[in-house]
Amino acid sequence: MRSRDGNSNLTFRLSSIILFCSLALNAGEYLISYRYMVKDAILYNETLHISHAMTKCEGKPQSELILENTTDGDLKKLISQNSEEFSNYIHKLGLHIKYKEQTLNLQNTSTTILTLKTTCFKVDFNDNFARIAPLK
Amino acid sequence: MKYFILLIALLSASSLFGADQVQTVDTKVIQLTNAELQRAIAEANLAKKEATFAQIEAMQAKAALAREKADREDEAVKIAEAAEAQAQAEAEAQAEADAEAQDVLKENSTMYISVVGQGVAPMNTTSPAQAYALAKRAAIADAYRAIAEKVKGVRIDGQDLIKNMMVKRSTIRTSVKAMVRNANVVETTFKEGLCEVEMEIVISHSDFPQ
Repeated sequence: MRSRDGNSNLTFRLSSIILFCSLALNAGEYLISYRYMVKDAILYNETLHISHAMTKCEGKPQSELILENTTDGDLKKLISQNSEEFSNYIHKLGLHIKYKEQTLNLQNTSTTILTLKTTCFKVDFNDNFARIAPLK
Repeated sequence: MKYFILLIALLSASSLFGADQVQTVDTKVIQLTNAELQRAIAEANLAKKEATFAQIEAMQAKAALAREKADREDEAVKIAEAAEAQAQAEAEAQAEADAEAQDVLKENSTMYISVVGQGVAPMNTTSPAQAYALAKRAAIADAYRAIAEKVKGVRIDGQDLIKNMMVKRSTIRTSVKAMVRNANVVETTFKEGLCEVEMEIVISHSDFPQ
């Protein structure tokens, strides 16, 4: 027998689909920061932080990077597999440069720090490819 | 009377003989004088010839000197011209460099900047590939720094501590702060542990918000 509120089922289904989609969209946003330091012309350390965005990011996707996806939705694994490509991509996006040099009694020391400030990236995993794009 | 006539005759005869002898002596003198004269003339001619030769030689030497002087002058002129041309070329190069240094990024125009960064591999690397990768990363950072220096400039602070008329400590600090995007690696070379990276960037007026 059909209920008097015959469309409640449909409403529930629609709302659940929207909720699922919105959750899926949130899951596709990552916060990434990158920093590396060069001391006296030798690479001192390099750090790449990747984490899920806990809140929804604002902005529109900009220049995107497409990588072959063989990691089943694991961004860290994907980036570690394509580290060189991702590093070049980050360099293209733009890095902050902080350089200090000191010459004390004619002895020189220098430190260069290149930083990508924490940026929200939208990541879409498809079957074969992953699209990574910063939101600005 | 007879004796007197005879005496006169004898005297006249003797005077005749004496006149002959005198004439003979005079001829010798004349001959001698002529010979000396001829010798003197010959000597004079010789001296004249020698003088002429000397004069010719002097003229030749003078001409050679003049030629040498002219050659030297030519050489000096050439050297001066070369020096002038070199100075002019240097001045032009300097002017171009000054013009480039004073080149200002105008509206609706772009500027191309190219730099070379250097990086060194650490000592404790596990493989040559790792050494290359690390050195390249360091070189890229250096190139970025060079681009930032060119585009934005360098802050320089210096401090000297002088005590008892002697420099105790001399410090120079330089720093750069900038943001660089869209720089491209053009060429990478790795030789004897040193990595060199050539990077370029094209900047336009619109990249700098007013």
